[in-house]
Amino acid sequence: MAPADRPTTVGPAAAAARVPVKGRGYWAETWLRFRRRRLPMAALCFVALLGLIALLSPCLAGTKPIVCRYKGELYFPALGYFNPRWENPVFMKDRFYKIYPKNLKKKDPESWAIWPVFYADPYRRVRDGEWEDRKGHQIYADPNWNNWFGTNQAGVDVLAQMIHGTRIALLVGFVSTSVAAVIGILLGAVAGYFGGLADMLVSRVVELVMCVPAIILILTLLAILDKPTIWHMMAMLGLTGWTGIARLTRGEFLKLRQAEFVTAARALGVGWLRIILRHILPNAMAPVLVPISFGIASAILTEAGLSLLGFGAPPPNPSWGTLLNSGKQNLQMWWLIVFPGVAIFLTVLSYNLIGEGLQESTDPRLREAGK
Amino acid sequence: MLNYIIRRLAIGSVTLLMITFVVYGLIRNMPGTPLTVDLAESSPDKQISAEELKRRAEIYGLDKPWYVAYWKWAGNVLQGNLGRSIQEKQPVMRVIMPRIGPTLLLSVTSLALSYLLAVPLGLYGSARSGRLDERTTSVFMFMLYSFPSFVAALLLLNLFYVKLDGTLFHLKPGMVSDNYPQLTMGGKVLDVFKHSILPVFCYTYGSLAYYSRFVKANMEEVIRQDYMRTARAKGLSPLTVLVKHGFRNTMIPFVTMLGLTLPGLLSGSVILEEIFSWPGMGRLFFSAITTRDYEVIMTEILIYTLMTLAGQLVADILYAFVDPRVTYS
Repeated sequence: MAPADRPTTVGPAAAAARVPVKGRGYWAETWLRFRRRRLPMAALCFVALLGLIALLSPCLAGTKPIVCRYKGELYFPALGYFNPRWENPVFMKDRFYKIYPKNLKKKDPESWAIWPVFYADPYRRVRDGEWEDRKGHQIYADPNWNNWFGTNQAGVDVLAQMIHGTRIALLVGFVSTSVAAVIGILLGAVAGYFGGLADMLVSRVVELVMCVPAIILILTLLAILDKPTIWHMMAMLGLTGWTGIARLTRGEFLKLRQAEFVTAARALGVGWLRIILRHILPNAMAPVLVPISFGIASAILTEAGLSLLGFGAPPPNPSWGTLLNSGKQNLQMWWLIVFPGVAIFLTVLSYNLIGEGLQESTDPRLREAGK
Repeated sequence: MLNYIIRRLAIGSVTLLMITFVVYGLIRNMPGTPLTVDLAESSPDKQISAEELKRRAEIYGLDKPWYVAYWKWAGNVLQGNLGRSIQEKQPVMRVIMPRIGPTLLLSVTSLALSYLLAVPLGLYGSARSGRLDERTTSVFMFMLYSFPSFVAALLLLNLFYVKLDGTLFHLKPGMVSDNYPQLTMGGKVLDVFKHSILPVFCYTYGSLAYYSRFVKANMEEVIRQDYMRTARAKGLSPLTVLVKHGFRNTMIPFVTMLGLTLPGLLSGSVILEEIFSWPGMGRLFFSAITTRDYEVIMTEILIYTLMTLAGQLVADILYAFVDPRVTYS
């Protein structure tokens, strides 16, 4: 990525002499325009908040202590929510069976622990008396003081699932769109820069992928795998979602390869890979961010839709779409539809707003008008 | 023009060939064949012998590797034989035909509704651009566009199917009621109408929001043009200026859009049809994928691809009609 202060166009020498101050770079300019828009900025803040929730999810809801002192050692069992292997094996050996509060006190009276805000697990039902003398979670519970967002058919707390589902939603958005962006930018750049045969081949492939509806293609691809995981789905979403990015990158490269600074670079003997990566790409990136932002929104939507059909991550995984799936099977339980539905809506809306804001702040016609 | 069409058709058939080849390879590599999936579901006492399995595999062409079987399939398709559905034990045509009507019922109604409403909405937006009422509508439309249709579908079902049960507004999923065959002609129409209200709504609102924004965005470019000012200056009514001088000049992107919606007409929505238990193409595809009904999957993919290619071609040809500046010679 280019440093923000790099001047992106080389004007005539005379003009440069008259204006000795270095102009703002393309990125700084774009950011300045973006920052002026209220709704996209609010959306960006919301996405940042979601990122925070995703990072802190084990501290917000869980049944494992964030930090605990057990038999003279410090442990962080809550990390197990990120990766089961990170849960310290000592608790497995001491037969905790994932029930921490009682066992900690019983097996080491000296121990202490810092607990998550909500004592609720996204994977299992909390039983009676697990936490001091509090009652366990009921199945099919309405939203109440114990379970703010209710519980599902297995008695698993919906709020805990929503908090941990944030991680999956954001991951799906970022990972799948990164895959799509890498493929799309690479193919689009090659097609736009070289033109001719490369362009024709890439355009054909784009046409091929676009001819089949994405959801149909993903269903077909997922069915090939024996046990699809959430990572497989992200890969599939990426493999089917790159066409828009490729087309836009191609267009930008077609335009920029004629630019004077590219001719200058070529005259200096810079290799094509370096021209593509260092000279053109930084200048083409801002408009390409627009389909990327919309792509994240549609990836989150598609993941939720597939999970709703039951094609998503295997059941214990707390994805928002999986919650909708149990809502579809239990239509009378509105809290299984409303809460994840609103979460998906707000996230998709945010990414769409960000995309819209980017579009407006990178649109050359609006740029010239000084808007 | 004729040359152009012929060239496009040639490119299109190559695309078609490649897509069907790739998809055929993909689906033949799914774990399990229609025969074994069928077996896994039936009771153990109905197990058939290995020889019988082999005999059946031969009948359906499953004994050959997929790249050989593909050419046989393609040859059959060219002769008008789409194969047999292994699940339904019927020709594919007979499985797909009854699904087309329900899907078209939803998609055509929703397309017509969204276009009919989107154009006036978009024109209204561009006429009142920047005013408070326009800003409010526009933000609302943007939110509507971002609202996932499957969430709306579930919410509406929760409201109309569960909460309003027993009242006049009770609406059910599915396309027809259980007592459909006994109803009179008028009753039948009313029954289907009542069942289609919710799905049509869920199909329509998103595209309505999208199209109206699309119309408005295109109008915004046109409205700055000099000829618009001239038209206003010579005293034409604002409506004439907006529609005759403005909207007619945004027809090109509009026509492209129409071309792009063509495949969507027949593909249906897998998710919405699943939620509403609507017996359409999307739902058929979903069940065909889960039962590995190869020929049905292939036929549906063939239809989508054909429609997409046709849509692109039609859009390109229509360009020349709506804009005399575009020629293909």
